[in-house]
Amino acid sequence: MTSLPLLQRRYAPQRGQRSTITALPLSRRHYLRNAAIVVAAVILIVWTVFPFVWILMTSLKNSADIISAPPKFIFRPTMGNYAALFFGTHRGGYSTTRPDFPLFFVNSVIISTGAVVLSVLASIPAAYALARFSFPLKNSLGFIFMSFRFVPFLAFVIPLYLLYQRVGLYNTHVGLILAYQLITLPFTIWMLRSFFMEVPLEIQEAAQIDGCSWVGILTRVILPLSMPGIAVTVILGFMFCWNAFNYPLMLAGRETFPVTVGAIQFISYDQVLWGQMAAATIVSALPQLLLSLMVQKYIVRGLTMGAVR
Amino acid sequence: MHTTAVRRRPRRRRFLPYLLLAPALILLVGMVYPFSLGLYYSLTDYWLQFPSRFRFIWLDNYIRLFNTPLFGRALEFTTGYTLVAVTIQVGLGLAVALFLHAHIPGRKVMRALMLMPLMIPPVIAALMWKIMMDSTGAGILNYALSFVGVGPVNWLGYPRGAMISVLVIDTWGNLPFISLVLLGGLQALPNEPYEAARVDGAGPAAMLRYITLPLLLPFIILAVTFRVMDSLRIFDVIYATTAGGPDDATTNLSIMSYRYAFQWYQMGTGVAEAIVLLAMVVASSYVLLRLWHRTAESAAQ
Repeated sequence: MTSLPLLQRRYAPQRGQRSTITALPLSRRHYLRNAAIVVAAVILIVWTVFPFVWILMTSLKNSADIISAPPKFIFRPTMGNYAALFFGTHRGGYSTTRPDFPLFFVNSVIISTGAVVLSVLASIPAAYALARFSFPLKNSLGFIFMSFRFVPFLAFVIPLYLLYQRVGLYNTHVGLILAYQLITLPFTIWMLRSFFMEVPLEIQEAAQIDGCSWVGILTRVILPLSMPGIAVTVILGFMFCWNAFNYPLMLAGRETFPVTVGAIQFISYDQVLWGQMAAATIVSALPQLLLSLMVQKYIVRGLTMGAVR
Repeated sequence: MHTTAVRRRPRRRRFLPYLLLAPALILLVGMVYPFSLGLYYSLTDYWLQFPSRFRFIWLDNYIRLFNTPLFGRALEFTTGYTLVAVTIQVGLGLAVALFLHAHIPGRKVMRALMLMPLMIPPVIAALMWKIMMDSTGAGILNYALSFVGVGPVNWLGYPRGAMISVLVIDTWGNLPFISLVLLGGLQALPNEPYEAARVDGAGPAAMLRYITLPLLLPFIILAVTFRVMDSLRIFDVIYATTAGGPDDATTNLSIMSYRYAFQWYQMGTGVAEAIVLLAMVVASSYVLLRLWHRTAESAAQ
C-alpha cells in the first residue's frame, strides 16, 4: 500500500481478505474513494458554513454593494451597518428604522437570564425528587413535565396574551420571564434529573449512614457533584431562551422585544434594510456561537432532554 | 431507585417528594391555567374588537374550522410538510452521521462546525437564507445555481418555490440535530456483532443493513419523534420568510391560528385551531414515544 488510505473504515475488509469490488486495482480504488470523500466533505462544510460567511460579508457591505448583480465577493468593507445598528438613525447615510437594537440585546439578556435562574431554582428540588425518591404519580408527573416540551405554543400564547393584557403583564420583562418558563422548565427538570441520577448511589448511602438528612444529601452530596451538569443546564437553557421567537412576538412590545423579534423589524412594508439585518443577524448569533463552544459535548444531550448521552 | 429514606420513616417522609416538587408544580399551574382558559375560549365566540358578542357556542368554532377551505389546505400542508421534511431530514442526517462516523480526517472540526446552524435562533437562520434567496439578481443562491445551468429561481415568490425554500431552511437548521443524535448512537454501538459478522465474511452493505440500522433504531425513532413534533408546529421560519404565502401555500395550522388570533382578532377560533394542532401533536407523540420505549427495550436485551 503506497499511502495511508484517507478513509480507514472501521469495518472495511482487511488486507488479504476478499473484497466485493475487484474490478479496479487497489490504488486506483483508494484514489476514487478518497476523491469522493473529499467532495462530500467540501459539500458538507460549504452547506453548513457558507451562509454565515455570506451574511458576515453582507453585513460589511454598503447598500450599493449589497444590491449589486451579480453579487460582489470583493468590496471595500464598511462598519456602517453596525454603526447604524448601535448608534441610531441617519448616521453617514445609513438610514435605519430600528435605532433601538442595543435595547433589544439587553432585553434578550434580561429575559433569558431571569427565566433560566427562576426555572433552575425551581428545578433543583423537583429533579432531586424525580431522581432519588419513589412516590406515587412519579412517572406521570415526570411525563407531564416532559410533554410541555412538545406542546404547540399557540395553545398557551393566545390565552396568555389575553390574560397579560388584563393583568398588565403584557410588554413587561416579568411577564416575558414567566412565559419563557414554558420553554426552560421542562428542559431544566429533565436535564438536572439526568445529571443527578449520575451521582453514585453509594456516596449518598454513605452520607445517610453518617446521619445526613435529605437537605444534607442535596446540598453536600448531589449539588457539589453535579456542578458541571448544572452549569451546562444553565448555559443551554439560556441559549434556548435566546432563540425564542414565538412567545415574545405575541407577548412583547417595542420596549421589551428581544433580538429575535428585533431582527425581523428590518423588514418593513416599504423596504428591507438588508445590511443592517445582516449585521443584526451576526450580533444575535454571536453569543450563541460562543456559548455553544463551551458546552459542545453536551448539546445533543440537552436537545434530547437527557435522552441521549 | 428506591431510597431507604422513604421506607424507614414512611410517615414523615411521605410528603417530602411533593414538597420538593412544589415550586415546579406552582410554575406548572402557571402553564395549566392559561391552557384551560384557552380550552374554554375555544368554545366561545371571542372577538377582541367586539367583547359584547362574547358567548358560549359549544363546538361551533371547530365545526366552522372544518368547513373553512383554507383549514383543509393548512391541515394538508402541515401533515404533508411533516412527512416530507422528516423523511428527507432523517435520511440525510443518517448519511451525514455515517459519514462522520467513518474515520475521516478533520471529522472533529466538521462535528464542531455542525453545531453552528443548530444553536443560532431559527428565525435568524430564516433571515440569513432570505438574504441569500433574493431573486433580484443580487441573490447569491441564484448566482451559484447559474453556474450549474439552473435559471434564476424566484425562491419565495411562487407557491412551490416557497414550500421548497421553507424546507431548505428548516433542513439547514435541523440536519445537524439528527446527525449528531445518530452519531451519538453510532458511537455507542457495541463492537462484537461487527467482529462476528466479519468472521462470517459479511460486506459493509450487509453490516449496515443487518447490524447498524437495527441497533440504531431507537436513536432513529428518537430523532424522528423530536422532528415530527417540531415540524408539525413549525412557525418561526415560515413567519420570517413567507408569512404563510404566497397564495397561502405555506400556511400551516400554526400560521393560520396566529392569523385568526392576531390579525383578525377571532381569539376563540384561533385557540380552537391551536387545540386541533395540539391533538395531532399529542397523538403522534404518544405513538412515537411508545415505539421508542419498545425499540429501546428490545435493543437493550
